[in-house]
Amino acid sequence: MSAPPTTVPPKVAPGTAESFKLEGELPMVDKPAVPFVEIETVRAQEFIPAAKEALSALIAEQGQNKVIRPAFNWAGRNSLFPLHWGLACCAIEFASAFSARWDSERFGIVPRSSPRQCDLMIVNGTVTWKVAHKLITLYEQMPEPKWVIAMGNCATGGGPFRTAYSVVPGVDKLVPVDVYIAGCPPRPEAMIDGILRLEELIRARKE
Amino acid sequence: MQSEDLAKALAPVLGDRVLGVEPFAKTAGRVRFRADAALDVFHAVKETLGFHHLSMVGGIDWVTHREVFYVAWSDALRQYILLSTDIPAEAPHIESATPVWPAANWHERETWELVDITFDHHPDLRHLLLPDGYTFHPLLRSFKLHEPEELEVKKRSV
Amino acid sequence: MWINMGPQHPMTHGLWNLRVKIDGEVILDCDPEMGYLHRGIEKISEDRHYNEVVTLMDRTCYVAGLAWEHLYILAAEDALHIVPPERAEYIRTMCEEFQRIGSHLMWYSAFVQDIGLMTPFLYGMRDRDLVLDLFQSYSGARMTYEYMRVGGVRNDMPPGFTDHARRALDWLSDRFVEYDRLCLGSDIFRKRCDGLGVLKANDCVATGVTGPMLRSAGMKRDLRRDRPYSVYAQLEFDVAVADAADVTARYLVRMEEMRQSIRIIRQVLDWLDRHPGPVLADRLPRWLGAPYAPVGKEEYVLKRNYPKGVGLSSIEEPHGEAQAYVVNEGGEHPYRVKFRSPVFANISAARHYLIGYRVADIPPIMGSVDVCVGEVDR
Repeated sequence: MSAPPTTVPPKVAPGTAESFKLEGELPMVDKPAVPFVEIETVRAQEFIPAAKEALSALIAEQGQNKVIRPAFNWAGRNSLFPLHWGLACCAIEFASAFSARWDSERFGIVPRSSPRQCDLMIVNGTVTWKVAHKLITLYEQMPEPKWVIAMGNCATGGGPFRTAYSVVPGVDKLVPVDVYIAGCPPRPEAMIDGILRLEELIRARKE
Repeated sequence: MQSEDLAKALAPVLGDRVLGVEPFAKTAGRVRFRADAALDVFHAVKETLGFHHLSMVGGIDWVTHREVFYVAWSDALRQYILLSTDIPAEAPHIESATPVWPAANWHERETWELVDITFDHHPDLRHLLLPDGYTFHPLLRSFKLHEPEELEVKKRSV
Repeated sequence: MWINMGPQHPMTHGLWNLRVKIDGEVILDCDPEMGYLHRGIEKISEDRHYNEVVTLMDRTCYVAGLAWEHLYILAAEDALHIVPPERAEYIRTMCEEFQRIGSHLMWYSAFVQDIGLMTPFLYGMRDRDLVLDLFQSYSGARMTYEYMRVGGVRNDMPPGFTDHARRALDWLSDRFVEYDRLCLGSDIFRKRCDGLGVLKANDCVATGVTGPMLRSAGMKRDLRRDRPYSVYAQLEFDVAVADAADVTARYLVRMEEMRQSIRIIRQVLDWLDRHPGPVLADRLPRWLGAPYAPVGKEEYVLKRNYPKGVGLSSIEEPHGEAQAYVVNEGGEHPYRVKFRSPVFANISAARHYLIGYRVADIPPIMGSVDVCVGEVDR
């Protein structure tokens, strides 16, 4: 298959039968039949200036801090997506909080399995030195802005295992913590209350 | 089966490789054996007496020496048996039970890293619970626990 | 190609890492990597009083805390030569059976969610809370109870407890039809579970696999019946078994075990109604923890007269055969505490029931093992 044109859009419309050559290799093997970059560039060239214009008009009209940031803040604090992982005992109460009895989802709290979709890390259990660098990796993979809740005594300060040789005495030695929830383990109500406190913190940031 | 029956059953097979059989709480008995004859004892206990299920391997640090114990279960007798042997604290090692009971694999890895007892001819003797590269053995009596040191707390920069 | 499934993965239900070697979709080899939750419970226990170790037991297996308390207490009482009152033993048995229901319901919720059914999660957690509320009514906690003591249990049941418990059991025993209809009646469930993760009885025995996994292979070993501890000898129940040795069979075994647990608890509740009495032994050594002994009845034991002893206990925990080995060298703290976790052995056999299946089969298979990482790593 010949190399796709680099500057002009291809003559063959993408997605039609002609765009796929059945003999020989499939079009997607080495490089896309239609250069994605090109399409994106064309679209972006049309879209970005228009969007910029509209946004700057809006900001000039109402002021950045009054429109964008409150809207972003409101949306962010009401849809906190915690990372779905279970460290220890508190993870069971974490799971209970999403059951029918407590139903955390009515507060917009939906656990996600990928750190890239999360903005809240709930450290629900004992952190050991073996898992410490993996916890930091997960934290770094989360997009900004992000928050951390230390759930339970172990995550707060080591709990009953603080003297053990393998336990990190508090997750705040590894990542910055915004809210600490006491309890061993905290009840699901306490966990939901902790998240609501975090929402207040986010609201107070005013950005 | 009582400990006397156990001693009678083991004597013709193992002879002086068994140092003694004593009654032990709610089990068939506790068999003390010579550490250098470990594999023979395991074979005899499994094949002759029918203790097919190995449930636990553990080690105890008695400071002067170390003890390795094995708990096995027989479905026919519906009883446990406890095998134990003493090994010196300097260069403690014993033959691995994995050829006889494959279930011993992880138990021996755990005992090796926590109590520092080397199992010879173990197929896969590496760290199980502690991270790779740890050199200390926490379940030794010389290893003391202490309150955690003061570490720096990470603060959010913004 | 080796890939890591874990430590943060929805399949793991805890902190562990399953390294699998795959060729396309087929699993060629696997290597479970444990220890991410190793908290040194056996070492900390050497630094605690006998009754303080109970606190750690709840956290060792956090879905079956009372069963592990029972396990440790049985061994510690053997080591300390203390005999509990009969009523305490009945209460402990009831706790253990309720805990079995709670643990199996937790397993049901988590496992069925893995294979794509969301409703059973809500149903299972709803019914589990019923059990937890009963625990809460007499121990004050939902998950970490600290309820059992060397020589008995901390306190008796509150008034009216047995009626509450019977009502809960009536509700629970009607739910199994619902569970079965949701799971066994679902094509998704049957297609994802039938014939997967087969581990025959011979392999189970060789690799040390116990519990529902062993009984699903047709082997009728249950320590409650084969080596009755506590008061199980006086109770009537059947041992749940299945033949297929696959994921569905494990589901069936656990469901039947819950029914049998309900049967056991009903007998125990009847007994408790008829036999009021003390729940803590009269003569407890003062060093065992004076606050828990009845005032004025502590027996003072001089330090040099501490009795020595060794205790080995073994119970049929919800996950399988658990063991505790407690060495009492005549001190206030246990000299050595060693536990045998059933899940530890069940995971160590992962090579035998994972190789040859496909990557998408890992969540149902590992879910059917019912992994509780707390007790594996300790």
